[in-house]
Amino acid sequence: MIFIKSIYNEVIKIALKPRSYLGIAAITVLVGVILFALKSDGMSIISFVTSSFEQTLSFEGNVLNGNLVAFIILQMLIVQIPLLIALVTGDLVSGEAAMGTIRMLLTQPISRTQLLLSKFIAGGIYTLIVIVWLGFMSVIMGKLLFGSGDLMVLNSDGLVILQEADVNWRYLGGFLVAFLALFTVSSLSICLSCFTDNSIGPIVTTMSIILLFTIIGTLDVHIFDSVRPFLLTTHMASWRSFFEDPLPIQDIKNSILILFIHNILLISISIYVFNKKDITA
Amino acid sequence: MSEKIIEIKSIAKKFGLFEAVKDVSFHVNQGDVYGFLGPNGAGKSTTIRCMLSLIKPDSGTIKIFGKSIFTDRNEILSRTGSIIEKPDFYKYLSAYKNLEIFSRLSRVSVGKKEIYKMLDFVGLGGREQDKFSSFSHGMKQRLGIAQTLLHNPDLIVLDEPTTGLDPQGIIDIRNLILRLKNEQHKTVILSSHNLAEIEIICNRMVIINKGVSVVEGDVKALMNNEDLVVRIEVSDKDKSKALIMSQYPNIHITDINETSIELPLEKSKISELNKDLVNAGIGIFSIEAKRKLEDYFIKMVNA
Repeated sequence: MIFIKSIYNEVIKIALKPRSYLGIAAITVLVGVILFALKSDGMSIISFVTSSFEQTLSFEGNVLNGNLVAFIILQMLIVQIPLLIALVTGDLVSGEAAMGTIRMLLTQPISRTQLLLSKFIAGGIYTLIVIVWLGFMSVIMGKLLFGSGDLMVLNSDGLVILQEADVNWRYLGGFLVAFLALFTVSSLSICLSCFTDNSIGPIVTTMSIILLFTIIGTLDVHIFDSVRPFLLTTHMASWRSFFEDPLPIQDIKNSILILFIHNILLISISIYVFNKKDITA
Repeated sequence: MSEKIIEIKSIAKKFGLFEAVKDVSFHVNQGDVYGFLGPNGAGKSTTIRCMLSLIKPDSGTIKIFGKSIFTDRNEILSRTGSIIEKPDFYKYLSAYKNLEIFSRLSRVSVGKKEIYKMLDFVGLGGREQDKFSSFSHGMKQRLGIAQTLLHNPDLIVLDEPTTGLDPQGIIDIRNLILRLKNEQHKTVILSSHNLAEIEIICNRMVIINKGVSVVEGDVKALMNNEDLVVRIEVSDKDKSKALIMSQYPNIHITDINETSIELPLEKSKISELNKDLVNAGIGIFSIEAKRKLEDYFIKMVNA
């Protein structure tokens, strides 16, 4: 019972902290700008992509539809979302230490493990809210403004055209995997937050790690081949696998497994460190 | 004999090479207002943090309510209220919301009515919805006490609760502690570097210095007004010493400077000694009497 109350407390604290709304506001503004840009001059962007196929294919109907708009938005924003998540979750433990409230919390009759787990869950709930908002702004608003239609996706193998009726479940799957990836970012930042009493450090370190992993993942250097499949950032892009035809089920399963292992490791390290930690702040 | 609420035996804690606590032992009985006295950096806060499981000591045992803090932490903390150093709350939340958050983690049901009543009790009535960030230091301290008392704990631990308060704030906190003792029969541990504060409020105390508990006992006995250290400034130090030694052969006289000596003496014998020295033709420039413990504590603080 006290664990449930602690989760509720953590959610309330996130909800009442002004910083928590930065992520939602940023998504609203960024998606708004992209939607405005695509509404104003979207067809010229689409023509640029489709021109190379026009000798062999003819495109009919509403190519620039809500499904494509949502896909473009996701592809553009999924790199920025971890920063918005880490901005809130990286502060969950170290922020309490910086404020001094950690002393008050840890003299309450709740175990350190329960308290920390309630922060992980609250971080997960915040991540879910951010991803649901991103989904609403991209898919729902996209469809409202641009209508529905078949989804045309350009990937490394060429052009994939997905039927309109075949898209919604792919978005659902894509968002679930994106949530798992972002929850891993949240776990990473909370884990780093357990090591310090500084509020900003874990946020900056989380972003630095993501940046470093992204660079390692992008560099076509042989030495990184063995580590690349295990990097968090490699699997942050796994939501895209849902828009391939046929669906690469094994790759998706593999990504989910690796992200789960990341979470278990990060949560275990956090619990160990947090339980051992002397509260001198 | 009163029930022992806290029993601390030989705790020690190192931070790297620095020994914050070397050997601290003491016990607190039920109903005590127990003074935890020591100069700044003596190891008071570290000891209190060990008691509340914020810091794990390297060695020693800590029993509260007859149970070990290491194995029965949650049960002990459910019966304990505390302020460590200064009460820190969520700056962006109101006084009410802050108390509501902490009350959810207690094991007793605390409703809106109780929170309002407690805020009123500590003198924050009417400021319930004001943000913590807008509070003065004294108000923050009162909110800390409200949080400490909200779940009606049996043991209250207050680490330097009057630091930074104005004189009226100090008096209010003192009166509040005395009310808790007299009206609600709570056991209170009060950490302070102020001997006078401990003397006014506490019935028992321990003095801790350089990480070691130096002396423990009843405040009245330790602060015995009869047991004094007397410093006398005289015209002829050697003649004075000889006279005193003839009358009190076992007394230890300390030379302070060219004209002053210091000796332990009962209060009732000071005037007699004064008379004897004057009758022997020795001029007395000053006689200053200090209580032994006070003298000891001042030396300790100045060291």
